[in-house]
Amino acid sequence: MSTVPVFARHRARLVANGEDLSAKAPWPLSLKIGVGVVGLFAVVAVVSSFWTPYPPMQPATGAFLAPPSWAHPFGTDAVGADIFSRAFAATHTDVGITVAVVALALFTGTVWGSLVGFYGGWADALTMRVLQTVQAFPALLLAMLVISALGRAVLDVILVVALIPLPDYVRLARAEIMTKKNWQFAEAARMIGRRPAGVLFRHLVPNSMRPLLANAGINASWVVATVGGLGFLGLGIQPGSAEWGSMIAGGESDIVSGVWWPCFFPGLAIFLLAYAFHLIGDALTDADINRRR
Amino acid sequence: MIVATPGDAALPLASEGGVRGAVRRPHRLGPRLANLGRHLAGSVAVVLTVITITFLVTRVFAPNPTALFLSPAGNGFVSAAAAAVEKTKVEASLGLGKPLVVQYYRFIDQLVHANLGNSFESGRPVTSELLQRLPATAELAVYALVLGVSLGIVVGVIAAVKRDGIVDHLARLFTVAGLSLPQFWLGLMLLWLFFTKLGIAPGPVGRLPIGVSPPPRITGFYVVDGVLGGDWSTALDAAKQLVLPVVTLGVGLATPICKIVRSSMVEALNSDYVRTAAAMGFGRRRIYLVYALKNGLLPVVTVLAGIIGYTFAGSILVEGIFGWPGVGNYAFEAIQNSDFPAIQGFVLYAAILYVVIYELLDFVYTLIDPRIRI
Repeated sequence: MSTVPVFARHRARLVANGEDLSAKAPWPLSLKIGVGVVGLFAVVAVVSSFWTPYPPMQPATGAFLAPPSWAHPFGTDAVGADIFSRAFAATHTDVGITVAVVALALFTGTVWGSLVGFYGGWADALTMRVLQTVQAFPALLLAMLVISALGRAVLDVILVVALIPLPDYVRLARAEIMTKKNWQFAEAARMIGRRPAGVLFRHLVPNSMRPLLANAGINASWVVATVGGLGFLGLGIQPGSAEWGSMIAGGESDIVSGVWWPCFFPGLAIFLLAYAFHLIGDALTDADINRRR
Repeated sequence: MIVATPGDAALPLASEGGVRGAVRRPHRLGPRLANLGRHLAGSVAVVLTVITITFLVTRVFAPNPTALFLSPAGNGFVSAAAAAVEKTKVEASLGLGKPLVVQYYRFIDQLVHANLGNSFESGRPVTSELLQRLPATAELAVYALVLGVSLGIVVGVIAAVKRDGIVDHLARLFTVAGLSLPQFWLGLMLLWLFFTKLGIAPGPVGRLPIGVSPPPRITGFYVVDGVLGGDWSTALDAAKQLVLPVVTLGVGLATPICKIVRSSMVEALNSDYVRTAAAMGFGRRRIYLVYALKNGLLPVVTVLAGIIGYTFAGSILVEGIFGWPGVGNYAFEAIQNSDFPAIQGFVLYAAILYVVIYELLDFVYTLIDPRIRI
C-alpha cells in the first residue's frame, strides 16, 4: 500500500500474456504440470480434428462392450465404437467450448468492469446493483432452464454458461481499475496527453490483467466440469455425440454390470483437464499475491 | 484492514471504498429495521427477476412456446385434428394470444397460488410432486452437509496449523482434486467399486432396498423414523442406502469449505492478536481452537449459503445417479424427458429456496460478526 509505482513497467501487450512472470521467477512445479497437461490436451484437440485411430462415430469397430485391449486401449462402448477415438474427438468439443466460454467471460467482464470502474457514475451504481442481485441466483439451474427452452444447441451452452462467472470478472476488473486509476503511471499517461480511453485501455487494463487471468484459470476448471455435467444431462450437446459428459451418460446403465470403461476414461479426461486448469489458476493467484506483498 | 469478507455478496469490498473507515453506529432499532426492509426488498427483487427471466425465456425467446407445454402427443398415433385441439388448449391456458402484460400477470398470479402447472409425465401438479419428494432430498442433504462441513473444517484447520507440512500438501492435493472431480463421475465410480466390484454397498435403487417398505412416517427421515419406531432393520437398510450418495455429495461440499477455512485460518494465525496471545503465554490449543478458529470460521458462513441451497435444491446429478427419489432426481428425469413444466417448477422452487437461505444466513452473519451491520 505504501509504495506507489511511478511508472508502469510494461507497455500494453507484454503483460497480458504473463510473460513477466516467467522472466522474473522460475515457474513453480504446479504451474509447469498444469501448463503441460493443458498443452497436451490442446495438441490432442488439434490432432483429433483430422486423425483418430477409428472414425469416432463408427459403430461395430470391435466387439460390443469389449474391455480395454491393445486394439482398443479404452475399450469399446455399447454399440462397439472405439472409446479411445471418441474420447480423442471429444477433446475437440470440450476444449473448444471451454476456451470459448472463458474467453467470452474474460473479455466481456474485463471491458465492462474496467469501464464502470474507470468512469464511475450511475452506470457503476447500476452495475453493482445488478451484480448483487445476480449473486443470489441459482445460476446453473437457471442456465439449465434456458438451455432446455432455447433448443439445446452448442452456441446456447457457450453463451449461457459464460454468463454465470461473468459477475466475478466484472467485480475483479472494476476493483483493480478503481485502485489503480490514480496511481502515478496513470497520471503520467494523462500528462503526456493520452485521452481517458487511452489511459484506461493502453495502461490501466494491461496492468490489471493478473488477477483476472488467475481467475480465468480457476474458472476454466469449473467450466470443464460444468460442460461435462450438462453433456451428461443431455443439455447442449446432442446425446450420442463425441463429448465426454454424454459419453459417460451413454455408459451409465452398464456400470452396475461391471462395465466401467465407457464411464471411466471420459470422466478421467474431464478430471485431468479441470485439475490442470485449477493448478494454473492457483499458481497465478499465488504469484499475484506474492507480488502485492 | 479488510472488514468485509471478500465474496460476500451483500457487502462492498474494502477496496471499493464502502467500508473503509466505517464509523460505528450505536445500536438503534430504527436504522436496523430500515436496513432489514431494504434487504427484504432486495430479495423480492431477486425472486421477481428469476420469475421474469423464466417468463421471458419460456414465452418470448423460446422459438415455439406452445411446444414446451404441449405434451408429446403419443408418438404420432394421435390424429392431426386431435393434436390441433390440444394445441389450442395449451395456447389458451398460456394465454398466448393476449398481450404480454396480461400473460405476465397470469403467470405471477398462478405462482402466488402455488400453481406450477402439471407434469407431462405424471399429469399431476408439479407443486405437490415437489413437496412429496422434499423429505428424501432433505435426508440426503442433512447428512451430506454434516459430513461435508465437518470434514472441510477439520482438514482445513489442520492444514493451516501445520502449514507447508505433509497434511497441508495432501489437503491441497485433495481440495483441488475435489473441486475438479465431476461429482456424477465420482458417484458412478464409487458405485462401480463398492457395489459392482466389492459388493459391500447396496445398488442405486433409492432410499430403501427393493421390497422393503418405509417405516411409519414421523419425521420423513427413514433412518430416524426407523429408530424411533423401533424398526432397526429398516433403519439399517436406509442407512446403508445413504452411504454412497452422502459420501459423493459430502466430498463435493467439503472441498470448497476446506479451501476457505485453510486460507482464513492462515490469515488469522498470522494476525497480531494471535501473536499477542502467544506472547501472553496462552497455550497453543487455546489459541488455535478458541481465538483463531472463531475468526477462521467466519467466511464459512458465507459459503454455507450457496452450499445449503445446492443440497436442498437437490443435487440433480448425484440424486439422478443413485436413483434417489428427491427433487433433484425429479429435475433429472424432467430434463431427460423434456418435461418442461416440471423443469420450470423445479427452477422456481430452487430460486426461492436460495434467496430465503441467503437472507437467513446474512442475518446470522450480522449476529456472529459484530463488525458487520446490514
